[in-house]
Amino acid sequence: MEKDARPSWENPMQFVLACVSYAVGLGNVWRFPYLCQMHGGGGFLIPYLIMLVVEGVPLFYMELAIGQKMRLGSIGAWSAISPYLGGVGIASVVTSTFLCLYYNVINGWAFWYLFHSFQSVLPWADCPLNNNQTGYLEECEVATPTQYFFYRETLNISSSINENGGIHMGQALCLLLAWMIVYLCIVRGVESTGKVVYFTATFPYVVLIIYLIRGVTLHGALNGVRYMFTPKMEQLANPATWINAATQIFFSLGLGFGSLIAFASYNEHHNNFERQAVVVSMINSGTSIFASIVTFSIYGFKATFNYESCLERVRLLLLNTFDMAENTISMDNIDYWISELNRTHPEQFAGIASKLETCDLEAELDTAVEGTGLAFIVYSEAIKNMPLSQLWSVLYFFMLLMLGIGSMLGNVTAIITPLRDWKLLSRHFSNETLNGLVCVFCFFLGLGFTTSSGNYWFTIFNDYGATLSLLFIVLIETVSVSYIYGLRRFEKDVEDMLGHRPNWYWKIMWAAVSPLLLIGLFMFYIVNYIMGGTPTYQVWDKYSGQSVTMAYPAFAQAFIGLLLVSSMGCVPLVALYVLWKKKRHGVEVTDSTLST
Amino acid sequence: MVSRLPFLLCLLLALASALATNLCKPEADNGYKVRLSIKTALGDKAYEWNESEMFLFRATLAFAMRKHFNTETYDVSNILVCNDTPRVSFWFVVTKPENTSQLVPGAQVEVAVRKSRNRINSAFLLTDQTLQFLGIPPTLAAPYEPATPPWLIVFGVVISLVTIGILALLISTFVQKRRKGKAMPEEEKMENVYENSLEGKSGALNGGFVEDDKYTQL
Repeated sequence: MEKDARPSWENPMQFVLACVSYAVGLGNVWRFPYLCQMHGGGGFLIPYLIMLVVEGVPLFYMELAIGQKMRLGSIGAWSAISPYLGGVGIASVVTSTFLCLYYNVINGWAFWYLFHSFQSVLPWADCPLNNNQTGYLEECEVATPTQYFFYRETLNISSSINENGGIHMGQALCLLLAWMIVYLCIVRGVESTGKVVYFTATFPYVVLIIYLIRGVTLHGALNGVRYMFTPKMEQLANPATWINAATQIFFSLGLGFGSLIAFASYNEHHNNFERQAVVVSMINSGTSIFASIVTFSIYGFKATFNYESCLERVRLLLLNTFDMAENTISMDNIDYWISELNRTHPEQFAGIASKLETCDLEAELDTAVEGTGLAFIVYSEAIKNMPLSQLWSVLYFFMLLMLGIGSMLGNVTAIITPLRDWKLLSRHFSNETLNGLVCVFCFFLGLGFTTSSGNYWFTIFNDYGATLSLLFIVLIETVSVSYIYGLRRFEKDVEDMLGHRPNWYWKIMWAAVSPLLLIGLFMFYIVNYIMGGTPTYQVWDKYSGQSVTMAYPAFAQAFIGLLLVSSMGCVPLVALYVLWKKKRHGVEVTDSTLST
Repeated sequence: MVSRLPFLLCLLLALASALATNLCKPEADNGYKVRLSIKTALGDKAYEWNESEMFLFRATLAFAMRKHFNTETYDVSNILVCNDTPRVSFWFVVTKPENTSQLVPGAQVEVAVRKSRNRINSAFLLTDQTLQFLGIPPTLAAPYEPATPPWLIVFGVVISLVTIGILALLISTFVQKRRKGKAMPEEEKMENVYENSLEGKSGALNGGFVEDDKYTQL
């Protein structure tokens, strides 16, 4: 009787949905639209789709194949491919741990905003009053209410990474809830995860469709959509476009974390992962494009709203200065009146010339934001201006939660699967206890991100924790599968599982194109780090209501170096350790044979 | 003498109004500028600004002064208005009821207006932003602060549900394991039954199978 039979997905659909839920994450919503805007709108789709076909799908296919063949987590799988490569698995687990630590903090913020949406007036719609109730708080006046709510009430951010403060209790509670939900989803391993992904994979699409319909019917939405899709082909000549397309595909599919290997290890031996790899990659990219249509209609609405508010302010300024009747100046004839009043009352006009704003719709659309700024500031600002804003707010943050938790499930599974494969732990700890310990450990370390300077540490992890290391890991993966394990053995394994060998296209990609591309990206990142000088970060200045760039202090830079070394260094360290062990073992064997 | 009376009266009135006009002027020391944005506030339902509306304004301001000083001496004639523009903005000053050539200090007018601001706004169906007293900042309404922050309530509900879910899963796993654990020793006992039955018999010597090749050698 096989007491320890490897658990498996109830049906292949669960596996596909788990991969979709993992790959479709927050980056699809907040990074891809930004890149699209930066690199020429519709034209960006060309390098993006090329990179998908050349780099994304082959590497995805390869990771699924390894996981399904070896039926072990990343550490076991790579050790099986070659004993010297166990370090690759360990590096994946370390990188996944870094990601788990900071990624769930975003889920905590989404919870915070979600719970705050259950109020008659959204708290980020208005500024709080100052002490004598004559006006608003100064910090909120110089910034906007949404920025104030994010930086002061949500994060209670300090003015630099050096200044520490206490833990924000609300954030800590939300982080606790986020980890409890992750635990609830993975407590029984694949059995529970498989059921949860039905919801986490499909619900975001429901919300995206609802938002698409709401978005395109908003006033001014089409301005944004038109702006995004107008291709600026000259951007294709810019190498940064291609590099960003490659990195976006790479990180969006979640390669190198070991999550795909972990998920695939629970598959049936003859599961058709080739088709699933193509399907999941297509769904992921399709979702990015879909989400960017939604984002750009929201952008268009927000930009038009700001533009019209600006025009209204100019109109009021003119009316009040020249004491004209209210219906003389309307939105359409502002320009006419500006020139007219300049001509007829030049001195008075000169007096207000400094307060006169130039309202430019293009400039409003040009303000491209990515990351947490987009999700929590720009979107909240757009939502507060919609009718029935509480409903839209709840839907939106719930969608962010589903996306975030779906990705977390993959990352936590990437840590837990290799730990479970390690007999030492699985003998002494039950499944539930091991999962619980991992969650508790990550929660306590994650509390550091809820302190006053926590957001700055979050940015360090976000920018450096999983970028260079992943490129390195996947590069080693591709090279080892193609050359150390050997493409012929790999082909035979695939044939054993699928019934046919991978065709020449896949083989060329694995052996030649992907490694070259990855080496190129890796070199580019290293050169960028070196040439960029001291790494800098954005600091929130509460006096000016703006983000200010500052250089990282020495200890932060040392920490960045530590992050990079601790994951990438596992590969050579383990290889050397195994080499040393083999040499010692080899010498002992020869000794013992000689002695008999 | 009697025929000069109406002439003198007219002169006095003219003088009074001249003085009044001198008292009320733009940038007056104890005066304030008022600006109404009726069309912005009411759109289609906007009313025309005319003398009657101005009269209402002066009356409400007199009411505000009465309320603040708690006297019944202020009258519409104490509120002087000038520099009316098509924007619907004008300056006003308040004269003392005892001595119409003296103005009430601006600070007192400000306090009076702030006290009755809501009543003044309502008389014109306007708000703090559309009926502006330049130089008198509006007292912003304090937001309603409930005893428990509402987010904490929703948080409490969700975290209780999640805790119940986790406990339910853990308990059901534990119960399943206990059931399996009970089933396992029973199986072993069944095996043991066979073992026990065999243990007692270490094997009896069956003479039929003893090798007797020393007897039969062919």
